[in-house]
Amino acid sequence: MGLRRALARLAAAAEAPVFPVIGAGGRSVAGEIALLGGVRVVDSPRAANVLLVVGGITPGLLAPLLQVHDQLPTPRATVWWPGEPVEHQDLRTVLGEVVVARPGDGDTLRGVFAELVGGGRLSDPPALPDDEPAEWRGVGPYGQGGTGMTGGVPYGRPLAKRSPDPDGLELDQLPLRIGPMFPPLPPGLILDIALQGDVIREVAVGDNPFLGHPDGPAPAGLDTALFLEAARRPQPVATIELARARHHLRWAAGTLRLHGLASESLRVLRLARALRPEHALEVETLARRLRGRRSLSWATRGVGVVTPAQVGFGPVARAAGVAVDARLDDPAYDGIGFSPVVNDGGDARARLRQRLAEAAQALDLANRAGARVRQPGPALEGPRGPLSAGEALPSAALVDLLPRLLVGQEWGDAMTTVASLDLDLEEAAAGARAGAPA
Amino acid sequence: MRWSSPLGAVVLVAGVLSAGAYVVAVLDVALGRLTAAGHLRLRHALRQPLDETALLLLTRPSRTERPDAQAWALAPALLGAMAAAAVATVPLGRGIAVADVADGIVLFGAAMAMVMVAVYLHGWSANSPMPLLGGYRFIALALSYEMPLALVLIAAALPAESLSVGAIVASQHDLWNVVRQPLGLPLYLIAGAGLAFWGPLDTADGPDLAGGTTAEVSGPSRVAWELARRFVLVAVAVMGAAVFLGGWQGPMLPGPAWMALKTLVLLAGLVWMAHRVARVRLERFVVVAWTVLIPLALVDVFVSGAIAL
Repeated sequence: MGLRRALARLAAAAEAPVFPVIGAGGRSVAGEIALLGGVRVVDSPRAANVLLVVGGITPGLLAPLLQVHDQLPTPRATVWWPGEPVEHQDLRTVLGEVVVARPGDGDTLRGVFAELVGGGRLSDPPALPDDEPAEWRGVGPYGQGGTGMTGGVPYGRPLAKRSPDPDGLELDQLPLRIGPMFPPLPPGLILDIALQGDVIREVAVGDNPFLGHPDGPAPAGLDTALFLEAARRPQPVATIELARARHHLRWAAGTLRLHGLASESLRVLRLARALRPEHALEVETLARRLRGRRSLSWATRGVGVVTPAQVGFGPVARAAGVAVDARLDDPAYDGIGFSPVVNDGGDARARLRQRLAEAAQALDLANRAGARVRQPGPALEGPRGPLSAGEALPSAALVDLLPRLLVGQEWGDAMTTVASLDLDLEEAAAGARAGAPA
Repeated sequence: MRWSSPLGAVVLVAGVLSAGAYVVAVLDVALGRLTAAGHLRLRHALRQPLDETALLLLTRPSRTERPDAQAWALAPALLGAMAAAAVATVPLGRGIAVADVADGIVLFGAAMAMVMVAVYLHGWSANSPMPLLGGYRFIALALSYEMPLALVLIAAALPAESLSVGAIVASQHDLWNVVRQPLGLPLYLIAGAGLAFWGPLDTADGPDLAGGTTAEVSGPSRVAWELARRFVLVAVAVMGAAVFLGGWQGPMLPGPAWMALKTLVLLAGLVWMAHRVARVRLERFVVVAWTVLIPLALVDVFVSGAIAL
């Protein structure tokens, strides 16, 4: 017991390994989790002791959440940052022991972790029975239900089947569902994939879990809420541009993490959190530094090329060389020297450069705009594309692009491509339901 | 103590590997913090690896549906054993070696080739897609690491006219191989980082696979795997210090101190690379390995051979 106590004392001083699950309205605080002191965000639920649920859990997210919960090893605890208003499933009714805290409250999270390790708190019991997902169907020579040694769905798990690869060989093709809580993908994205080795042969986008709620996602919870608000009410240009820069920096941080640069990613998140118009030079320097990072260029060049014909709006189109931007027709930007930044290539590298350059430009504009206030009326250029009354929000069209872009890509390139599009499934759901709020 | 006795061997190898793994972990935390926040807290860096290990030891291992349990347990043991075998061939000071055998370089190469088996086993046995993909990836890349590694080690053996690591160290009495064969060390470090799936070459356990072969591993099994993998990195650095940086030779300080210093320099370089260089793309890396790294390694062999003649 002495050893156990000694270990517990050491462990209580460790950073709490947290697996975040982002629900409805959770994205706006998601960028803060990694910056909480004494907390470490991990890539897999197996590496976590604390499950952090951020935002509302829609019906489509509930079953996956319970599965993820049970994947956490014991001792484990669940902390929920429900946000306001609590309009979705009350997690406390489905998971026994949930600690509810204010979004961004790291102290409660660390307190729960310390109690858990110190033995003052019992580990969460499993939420689901430890059963097979389906019955054993003993058909075929190996009882798996297929023919030979392939195919079939033993215990509800589809086995690989044979299909030809581009070299004409018959190779295993594994059906696989990833998401909606797979960290390399945006929260809520579900992909049904057929994989041959690590090459993606077929892709279908699964049902958007944010569509499940009867009222649809609340626009106030979207990470672009400030922009949607600005489309309806007067808002200072400087505020809009500062939010744009922060959005792009947070996206860049996620991209860096995906590419294995976790510490660099934290640095960018830190900059995004404290961002003020005076930081224009810092952001400019960051953009230049990352632009010059050969390994990053190497990892993104030629990956996930989107042509102007496929997407004709927002940073994605501008990264493909098209100078479209709603700010060009917005009187609020007259006379402050705005002209759209463009890149060429339309690949993941161009999109990284594009957003970094736009973040720097946004701070520059924020400085030059002074106290200028934008009046509602014309379409507002959001961080993903124009937001105008009655039209779908930009993410919806970007999500539709995925199957065509991903087929034939290697796994790593596919993840790079998805990340480079800056998708928000919640925004896509809001857009698909009602278009942008009038 | 005789280092080739069973007890001496265990003490020496385990000591070197554990100390090295701890140093890697501390450097990793320190450099991470320096990159992320611009400042360093030494106490935090010294403690965090221990705290984290304690937490993992208190956490229960995970279960998956029908894993290959024996293979899953075997994988980290195999990986660690290969690192131990590799380190055993390296003299850490005058007369301080477990097994400075006549063909030490070959033994080292063989141990490094077996790393592939351990990584694949680790990916395979969880019976889960992400670990399996991680295993596939390592298999796809392994030859691209092993070829340059073997070639630059052969080149380093040429001036010594021996495959013994001790003889290669002795052959650098007047001039280190890092100067004599400038291509050798950079190629060796790239290949070595690949074999330890470290930093930009961490494709097997990368974040785009939610942890790859470690995606289903928790608790003590995670400690075992992460330790074993750092052991491989340490073995690579220890061998690199011996073969390219003159090993234990140096003025004033005792031999083992020189070995420790040189190994530390290489480890610091490898950790720095992990925080600085983005993950490579698989296919492009294979192309570069076969069109640039392997030909360069061959040039290294030919030039070193010509000079040795």
